[in-house]
Amino acid sequence: MKENFLEIKDLKKSFGSGEARQDVLRGMDFTVAKGEFCVLLGPSGSGKSTLLNIIGGIDTPDSGYVSINGDKLEDMNEHQLTLYRRKHLGYVFQMYNLIPNLNVKENIEVGAYLSDKPLDVEEVITTLGLQDHKYKYPNQLSGGQQQRVSIGRAVVKNPDILMCDEPTGALDYKTSKEILALIEDCNKKYGSTIIMVTHNEAIKNMADHVIKLRDGVVRHNDINDKKVPASELEW
Amino acid sequence: MRNPLIKRIPKELVSDWHKYLVIIIFMVVMISVISGMYVGHDSMLASVYAGREELNLEDGSFELSKKASEQMLEGISSGELADVREYFIQEGMKEADEKVAEAVEEELDKKVREAIEENVRLQCEAFGITDEDIINDRAEKAIEENYDSAMEEARNSDEFKQAVDDAYSEAHDEVIKAVDEEWEKIADRYELNAEHTPVRVTIYEHFFREENEDFDNDGISDANVRIYKSDSVIDMASFNEGRAPESADEIAIDRMHADNRGIKIGDRITVGEKEFTVVGLLSYVNYLTLHESNTDMMFDAFGFDVAMVTPEGFDSLHSRIHYSYAYKYDDKPADKVALADHSESFMKCLITQSLTSDNEIRDYLPEYLRQASNFAVSDIEGDSSATAILCYILIGVIAFIFAITISNTIDKECTVIGTLRASGYSRSELIFHYMSMPVIVTLIGAVIGNVLGYTSFKDLMMNLYYESYSLPKYRLVWSNTALVKTTVIPLLLMFFINLFIIVKKMQISPLRFLRHDLVRTKRTKARRLPHWSFLRRFRLRILFQNIPNYIVLIFGVVFIELMLCFAFGLPDSLDNYSDTAAGMMFADYQYMLMSNLDDEGEVISTSEETAEKFCAVNLLYPKAKSTFRTGMGSGGDEGVTVYGIDPGSAYITVPEGTSEGSVYISSAFRDKFRISAGDTITLHEEYENRSYEFTVAGFIDYDGSVAAFMNSDDFKSVFEMEDDEFSGYFSRNEITDIDDQYIATVITAEDIEKVAVQLNHSFGAIIDMFKYALVVLAAALIYLLAKIIIERNEHSISMVKILGFKNGEIGKLYIAPTAIVVVFFSIIGFGAGYYLMLWLFHAFMLQMDGYFAFYMTTGSMILSVLYLLIGYAFVSVIDFIRIKKIPMDVALKNVE
Repeated sequence: MKENFLEIKDLKKSFGSGEARQDVLRGMDFTVAKGEFCVLLGPSGSGKSTLLNIIGGIDTPDSGYVSINGDKLEDMNEHQLTLYRRKHLGYVFQMYNLIPNLNVKENIEVGAYLSDKPLDVEEVITTLGLQDHKYKYPNQLSGGQQQRVSIGRAVVKNPDILMCDEPTGALDYKTSKEILALIEDCNKKYGSTIIMVTHNEAIKNMADHVIKLRDGVVRHNDINDKKVPASELEW
Repeated sequence: MRNPLIKRIPKELVSDWHKYLVIIIFMVVMISVISGMYVGHDSMLASVYAGREELNLEDGSFELSKKASEQMLEGISSGELADVREYFIQEGMKEADEKVAEAVEEELDKKVREAIEENVRLQCEAFGITDEDIINDRAEKAIEENYDSAMEEARNSDEFKQAVDDAYSEAHDEVIKAVDEEWEKIADRYELNAEHTPVRVTIYEHFFREENEDFDNDGISDANVRIYKSDSVIDMASFNEGRAPESADEIAIDRMHADNRGIKIGDRITVGEKEFTVVGLLSYVNYLTLHESNTDMMFDAFGFDVAMVTPEGFDSLHSRIHYSYAYKYDDKPADKVALADHSESFMKCLITQSLTSDNEIRDYLPEYLRQASNFAVSDIEGDSSATAILCYILIGVIAFIFAITISNTIDKECTVIGTLRASGYSRSELIFHYMSMPVIVTLIGAVIGNVLGYTSFKDLMMNLYYESYSLPKYRLVWSNTALVKTTVIPLLLMFFINLFIIVKKMQISPLRFLRHDLVRTKRTKARRLPHWSFLRRFRLRILFQNIPNYIVLIFGVVFIELMLCFAFGLPDSLDNYSDTAAGMMFADYQYMLMSNLDDEGEVISTSEETAEKFCAVNLLYPKAKSTFRTGMGSGGDEGVTVYGIDPGSAYITVPEGTSEGSVYISSAFRDKFRISAGDTITLHEEYENRSYEFTVAGFIDYDGSVAAFMNSDDFKSVFEMEDDEFSGYFSRNEITDIDDQYIATVITAEDIEKVAVQLNHSFGAIIDMFKYALVVLAAALIYLLAKIIIERNEHSISMVKILGFKNGEIGKLYIAPTAIVVVFFSIIGFGAGYYLMLWLFHAFMLQMDGYFAFYMTTGSMILSVLYLLIGYAFVSVIDFIRIKKIPMDVALKNVE
């Protein structure tokens, strides 16, 4: 039995008020073990991105709590939350959000700078297959290459948790699989806990832990014993 | 590991180089100007202050009606008050005793003669003689025989002795009473009864003559020259060129005057009736500006000169000697308060000593109130701080433009910022990152600016000073002030303005950055617009979208308009003054005489047919002390010439039927002090304890001087003048038959115009440069702000291009709002600038002596708006080219 690393307890969150009030999270409970590849699956509007943002400490719940390694985020002030993100988290978004006037290597260094225990930037570049592009600017890269850089920026920190918000949402099938394989590699190679938000059902097959969300609650919370490598995924 | 975000800075600088180049040039120009100004200012002041020591500048000076006696000079040196009361009592007693003695002798003579005659009549009556002729004959004989013995007897009588004692005693009492009454007034006015701390001084003879100078030897006087001796040990001169005179026919003249008149070393000039060779161009330590009189509004380096000749050369001139003495305090006053106390104490001593020595004070001036030695210093200091403030305002505007640019960049990079924040970058790290650019740009500006300031701009500033003032050679000094004011202040301005905006912007949560949710607005719906055409509403939306840009733009435009008002208004005001004031002059020549009688006691007359007598007296109008610029203006009350005009005068019409206590005042007097008809004004004498109250009956259109007018009968009654007394002549033609020694001053249109001529000469060229600099400045400001507006809307512009809008139409959409704002606010800015200049000018004039009003011609008004619009027209063209260059794929490609 793996130890619980991330604990989500009775998490609620709503937006708006009165008639316009929309309950996005309506009491969510689950745990994620250290080093686990966890997929949060659900259709749009199911609250998965909101959940990810709350876990990432960039949004706050109305009630309930998130605890990482026993530390509750609700007890942290803004400065501590920044430190928490700095030390423990890596973020990958659907849009790559790279810094336009920094080249590939420099964009990855932006992540390395934040960490006390960063990985070797050159090694990450090699792992991501970006050796030939490391002096290019983001606008000289394809979408897939940009997302690799974005993963590199997150991974180079050697984070405890890698948060991925629809990382393949803007990519084609082939590139998506390459990106997923990279995330899988990072999970294996660096032992990071991965929490990936996606609406792509096929991706659940590569995860250790699949949490299905609908209308702000957890519908299924399954441990996947029949994990398949990313390269074998089909959709 | 160094923050990798730092690597963005040089890339950012290179990628947007035109914008940063404009900003850096802007900063460099501003900082060079301030730096050059302060380096020039510090170096110039250092040499001026050093000169004050080395050239032995006086602490004050006074002029007497005749050469002072040794005893008087000793008295003044001691700083002690002379016992004026005792002096006048003694003098009064002497006079009274003489009068009493005379009266007693007359009375005694009369009494003795009457007694003898009475005796003879009694004897004749006893002998029966009644013939009056015989009686008179006998009486005369008796007086002849007995007068002496009778007188002797009468003198020895007790009755006589008592009567004489009584007469003396009564006369003495009268004297004491009269002296006491007068003493009380004087003592009150000069506080002579208060405790007096004597201030010891060393006195230096500093006589001068004033002669006509004819530099081109055409027989027509070109200037009035004040001549000192070369062996003077006080108020000495430094030589910018040449040397001091060594023989009786050599002369050294003021550098600035020589420059203005084109006189060079080796030239021969006529002074008085004698020819001299110019051997040196000098700067007297007490004549840094050529103020002929301390109450002159402006110095006059054209019409006035100071010069140095050898003592032999001095003796060879014929005009009267001015018995001027300079003094220095034996104990230096510690500060300005002590300085004022010293001068007050000295003045009391001087007044009492002059009264007891029967030597009238013609002029007294403590050095710290002397315009000729303080005006330039004050102007240099005032110019530096005023220019620095103007530059700081512009640096502030640039800082705001920078802040808007960064704010725009933050908007553009919001998702990146959100990602970085989500990844663990702290707010302060990002604030630091976005702050580095303005700080680096300011530092670059400061370094280049300072280098230029210490090299070329310093010389530019020095030349400006040398164009205006008779300054000594400067010595370059390192200026800490310049370093602080050119580096620290701009950096602080840039830092805090940007910090404020960036911190405010960075308050947004990482999530909102990620969601592009950057505007915190209470509005739930878009602002409703009237049912205007689509294009009009579109433009209005762009205007609303860019309100912060437009606010900075409006501020910049208004500020530049204010400067343009100054640049156009100053020459206009000078021209207007010389045209109208000189045109309004009531006489082409106005001769003020020393007295209406010549040395033989004959009335000074002239054969000039147009000459007309007038009466005049110089009084003072109380003026609030101002700290607008200390050192400029005489520092005292406003000098007012009160004229007494004959009824039916061909020169000035004073309306009839005015009462004795009422006066008409000149329009300059009215405008300067905002006096209305019916107001009461009090004028007082400078060195005497007398003041006069008048009701203002009306105004006389005359802008040439601060003056008051009344009819001559009233004048003579108010100022206790005899019926046939007068002060001078008005004339249409030059009067040639009055000896120069009787003429105190001559006022012609040239004297009125000299202010305008001097200011035009000193500032004319720089004002033109200033105008063009303002156009460039305006264009640069608008360029930067318009660039931001277009960059911000690049995406939308690209999109409307895809939709099929033509470049011209897009130009109308995105350029027109800026054009409307620029045009509208240039007009508003002009109005604000114009009224502000009116106010500033008036406040400045209140400090100065004399008056001229701010004035702008309609042409200048139009031009001051047009100049700014010309600057804007260039920017519009650049903007249009920029819009044309925006490719359509901007709207289609990813954010990256």
